[in-house]
Amino acid sequence: MISQDLKSLEEKSIYVIREAKIKFPKIAALWSMGKDSTAMLALARKAFLGKVPFPVIHIDNGIDFPETYKFREELAKKWKLDLIVPKSEIKPELSGFACCGANKTVALKKVMKSYGFDALIVSIRRDEHGIRAKERYMSPRDKNFKWDYKDQPAELWDDYSSKLDTKGHIRVHPLLDWNEIDIWNFIKKEKVPMNPLYFARDGHRYRSLGCLHCTVPLKSKVKDINGIIRELETTKIEERSGREQDKEKAYVMQKLRALGYM
Amino acid sequence: MIIKNITLLGHKDHGKSTLIGNLLIQTKSVTPARINEAKKTSKKLGRQFEPGYILDSFSEEREQEMTIDTTRAEMAYKDLAFAFIDVPGHEELIKNMISGASYAEIALLMVSAKKEEGIKDQTKRHLFIAKMLGINKLIIAVNKMDLVGYSEDRFNQIRKELGGFIAKIGFKASNFYFVPVSAYNADNLIKKSGDMSWYKGKPLVELLYEQAKMEDKRKSTAPLRIVIQGAIESGRQTVVGKVISGRVKTGSMVSILPFGYKARIESIVVKGKKAKSAGLSDDVALTFESRVSGNLRGTVVAEGGEAPKLTDKINSLIFVTGGIKKPLKLRINGNEVKCKALEIAEQVDTTTGDANEKKGAEVLNAVRARIVLEKKVPIEDFDEVKELGRFVLYGNNKFAGIGIISP
Repeated sequence: MISQDLKSLEEKSIYVIREAKIKFPKIAALWSMGKDSTAMLALARKAFLGKVPFPVIHIDNGIDFPETYKFREELAKKWKLDLIVPKSEIKPELSGFACCGANKTVALKKVMKSYGFDALIVSIRRDEHGIRAKERYMSPRDKNFKWDYKDQPAELWDDYSSKLDTKGHIRVHPLLDWNEIDIWNFIKKEKVPMNPLYFARDGHRYRSLGCLHCTVPLKSKVKDINGIIRELETTKIEERSGREQDKEKAYVMQKLRALGYM
Repeated sequence: MIIKNITLLGHKDHGKSTLIGNLLIQTKSVTPARINEAKKTSKKLGRQFEPGYILDSFSEEREQEMTIDTTRAEMAYKDLAFAFIDVPGHEELIKNMISGASYAEIALLMVSAKKEEGIKDQTKRHLFIAKMLGINKLIIAVNKMDLVGYSEDRFNQIRKELGGFIAKIGFKASNFYFVPVSAYNADNLIKKSGDMSWYKGKPLVELLYEQAKMEDKRKSTAPLRIVIQGAIESGRQTVVGKVISGRVKTGSMVSILPFGYKARIESIVVKGKKAKSAGLSDDVALTFESRVSGNLRGTVVAEGGEAPKLTDKINSLIFVTGGIKKPLKLRINGNEVKCKALEIAEQVDTTTGDANEKKGAEVLNAVRARIVLEKKVPIEDFDEVKELGRFVLYGNNKFAGIGIISP
């Protein structure tokens, strides 16, 4: 995996986050307490003089890891986050694709509507998935959260989408250019507090964090950030290999995202 | 590693996705899982293995064998990394092509050597757009050489015909190179091909590497220009933006355009840390010794040199992508300004580079036009300061074109 130049990555992300906040004052961010969305909050603090200038949303399905909840409380207090926690309901009869769609997407729709948010920062990266690689930095969703991936707006130079459909919202993707290893290089450099699940216990660690039901750890002895970076430099395994919903069948990510999933 | 963005260009089916896919495979830049997935898809669709499936991820893209939207793939080479931007070659997807290509500093054009394919209108149009986007470095890969018996004559024929057009639209001879390849068989991609011993040049990646290593001429001694995104609340008035040329220092007296008044820089924050100065491409948060008034979005902080022009009348070259319909708006550096008038002086055929007297704005062609804006904005000629010399045009809220400001 290629480590990119952090200076230009940070500059681009800071530019996009500032642009989003200035263009869309009623903006919020999704925070899963994972490495990417936590790194994004650290970048937002750099962009806005040490303060995260928008509410952060954790869609709580009640089955995230205990470590994740603890990490949420600690960092929310330390960084004075304006935290919104909508509950989503897990339906035992659903799993994978149907579960992510019904659970996270539905809860997100509700919270966006009740707070009147018109833009949402989502910390996806191109290298995670072929479908995410097709995204714009700022991408409109219609009122049903649908992503019209066949007709995305032009986005060039530093000119980003304005909101065209008044009932929809804009997804903002400030980390689009980052690779997984860049996130860890940044976390190391900036000493960003991290969820302990990423570090090995009993010979396993999590590389990508979802909920308890659908996330499997990988074999690893790595206990610190330097170890993670070394592991990623040579790995041949895909980051989301431990995420069930991605692999049920072909194009499942495309369908999930078209319906409003992150 | 420093990443160099390279955009693919060219007509549909001339092999853009195949080329990137195979470069990634040859240099082991993709995981075996991704290759296997592409293999499985090829099999499922009852086709031979297609390296392009590594990039084309939408179901429609694979089933219809076309790239719909832009994507990016990285490859390390020596001390650099290349990020290849794959773009659709279909005419109707030109806005996706422009979006992808606008981030590149090098263009890699694919043109098929096959008799029935060859140089198409779209081949030349993509070159025209690349030049307008400010891309100055270009490699032309003459593809599918295996299907024309590795013919040197065919390669030379394409080189001669296309070379003339490339020079005509303004690329410098030292900044473009032709290389014969077979993207599918990986001929002349990483290693020189045994089937084309008549080709004395370097393989494709080497040519890309040489171009990537050539430094941008823009000096840090250029006059200071900061594009301001807006003001943020933090008790004290703070403006944020990006340095696009020169250096800003605390204590400097700067002009704020279009207002024209001066202010002294009190403090500078770069990436969250206090700094005494900031340079090219730095994100900045600035405070001034005294409060400045007015809406600061889209303003320019300048010091030294000849100040940017403040004008409501601009001469431009516009590549037309949609209807030039009212209300017509021009977006330039965060400013969204209404156009009071747009008068076309001449049309430029993007497949020949020639001007004609037609006064209409046809999609996929270019026009030279004089625009009258509702208010004055700070601008510079595109050739001087790119960021202040380019704009995006919206007609009736739809993407209508990209423009550059020319004298």
